[in-house]
Amino acid sequence: MIFKIAFQNIWRNKLRSWVVILAIALGIFGGLAVISTATGLTKMRQENAIKTYVSHIQVHDSAYLTYGRLQDTISSEKKIMQFLSLHKEVAAVSNRLKVESFIQSAGGNSGVILNGIDTKREKELTNLSELCEKGNFLEVYKRKPPIIISQKLATKLNAKIKTSIQCSFTNMYGEATTGVFKVVDIFSSSNSMYDELNAFVRLEDLQSLSLIDGSHEIAFLLKDDKKVEEFREVLLAKYPNQHIASWRGIAPELGYADKMMDLVMTIFLVIIMLALAFGIVNTMLMAVLERKKELGMLISIGMNKRKVFWMIVLESIFLALIAGPLGIFVTYIAVQFFGNYGIDLSFAAAGLKSVGLESTIFPDLNPMYYVIISLLVIVTAILSCIYPALKALKLNPAETLRTA
Amino acid sequence: MIEVTNITKTYDDGKVQVHALRGVDVEITEGEFTAIVGPSGSGKTTLLNIIGGLDTPTHGEVTIGNTSIASLSENELIDFRLNHIGFVFQSYNLIPVLTAKENVEFLMLLQKKNDKERDERTTQLLKAVGLEDQINKKPNEMSGGQQQRVAVARALASKPDFVLADEPTANLDSKSTANLLDIMLKLNEEENTTFVFSTHDQRVIDRAKRVITVEDGKIISDHTK
Repeated sequence: MIFKIAFQNIWRNKLRSWVVILAIALGIFGGLAVISTATGLTKMRQENAIKTYVSHIQVHDSAYLTYGRLQDTISSEKKIMQFLSLHKEVAAVSNRLKVESFIQSAGGNSGVILNGIDTKREKELTNLSELCEKGNFLEVYKRKPPIIISQKLATKLNAKIKTSIQCSFTNMYGEATTGVFKVVDIFSSSNSMYDELNAFVRLEDLQSLSLIDGSHEIAFLLKDDKKVEEFREVLLAKYPNQHIASWRGIAPELGYADKMMDLVMTIFLVIIMLALAFGIVNTMLMAVLERKKELGMLISIGMNKRKVFWMIVLESIFLALIAGPLGIFVTYIAVQFFGNYGIDLSFAAAGLKSVGLESTIFPDLNPMYYVIISLLVIVTAILSCIYPALKALKLNPAETLRTA
Repeated sequence: MIEVTNITKTYDDGKVQVHALRGVDVEITEGEFTAIVGPSGSGKTTLLNIIGGLDTPTHGEVTIGNTSIASLSENELIDFRLNHIGFVFQSYNLIPVLTAKENVEFLMLLQKKNDKERDERTTQLLKAVGLEDQINKKPNEMSGGQQQRVAVARALASKPDFVLADEPTANLDSKSTANLLDIMLKLNEEENTTFVFSTHDQRVIDRAKRVITVEDGKIISDHTK
């Protein structure tokens, strides 16, 4: 019957109870909505980076990363490529030759990294070919060797498809070399900084111009992204003289974003729970003070203080048990809906692109958060009603019956 | 038996001292139908609260049966009230979210009585107060008189040694008052239930079997009819 009294007590002031319930539910929804959006953004940034330019793991010659010399190609390139190509855990692999170059057209100039790529392998590894306007991934060309530049670089160079572009760089022996390429396509990724600094040519064209027989970088994707670190260790044991790094090591800012998100989520959860706690303390305190006479009567007729205490605790647990699932349900529906259809932020597309994000955000929430929030809501409800419940215990029955 | 020995009660807020009771001695035996009367502020409610263990005396002792209630801890006192004393309040004080039946059952639940015993006693008591057809009504669906009759049934539900009623008819009209007094007298006569009232209602005083008059915190008269 204590359960029944406690449950019915919360409906004695329906308006107040519903205001508290909706406030708690909205708090949970608001907090989880921000968390899921931020998670979606982080995930999108990571996925974009991995599928466009980082891949899961990259292999370099250790000296290349230290000195950046052209001759520091991967010594066991063929063996590593063969090993990775045949490995059942590897989804795609490609090797690249990277040369810093000065690029110029009749309309402008800039500094870029010329990426010599194996078009067939690169097509399997990255989504660059899908990001090209015409879908010509260095495959169709006439006399001049083909080059793909980004939209951002094209604007800077005042270039378009079929524009001839001159790239100047030093070859293997430190001699100045110039190559003339024809733009065969223009790409646009979600990272404008990457776009501005990279251009793509065929591996054999760049090898021929730079006189380098080999490549500086092997990048590959695994079938299971959870096995990245494990696979990296295996490869490192097999090729100890190479520098082998996972995407977290190559682009640490992407990994930091993960950790940052954990911190942000913790802060948000604390804020949500504090708001919930104050809401419950306020409501239960009002409920206790309004019902002093009734509580005094209950103690007078023989209801011991332990039961009075639990009755108050139960009232706040019921409030939380109604508000919590309501907030979680609304959040679940919203996350499912926007997770499928996305949140259109095209009005801020330029800003988002500059940090590697697309203009449509897909919120994502780890299901564990629903469990964590549910438990936290109940724990917070219990903790926050202790003060009002203790207040009820201090009531003097004779005094409350006399004064109320 | 209730034995009140040399009770004094002084309220002191640090500035003013109010002597609510000044050396009260009284004995109430089983089966009495006693009214404690007096004007407002005379100390009758204070005396009732001290007898019921809701308030503590400044000096003196209250013994109920063989138990000195001053010797009980707070929790023991609550349990003692549950099992030995029934209360009826001026403004009924039923639990608003429960039905008449549930209000009566409530104390028996606290006493951990089984379903059968609870059901039988609730039905019997609501019948005794003439509310057998109102068992599923909540307090706000009943008249003041009906609510006070439920309060009487509730007070008796735990089979107390006696019932303390603080101005039970103060908020009732003449008809409801007469009805309530009939019920309580019947319970007193047929089941030997002890009732102790505080009142200044002449209708109650007229039907009480013993009248104790309190004035300025002292008993100035005590006569049995």
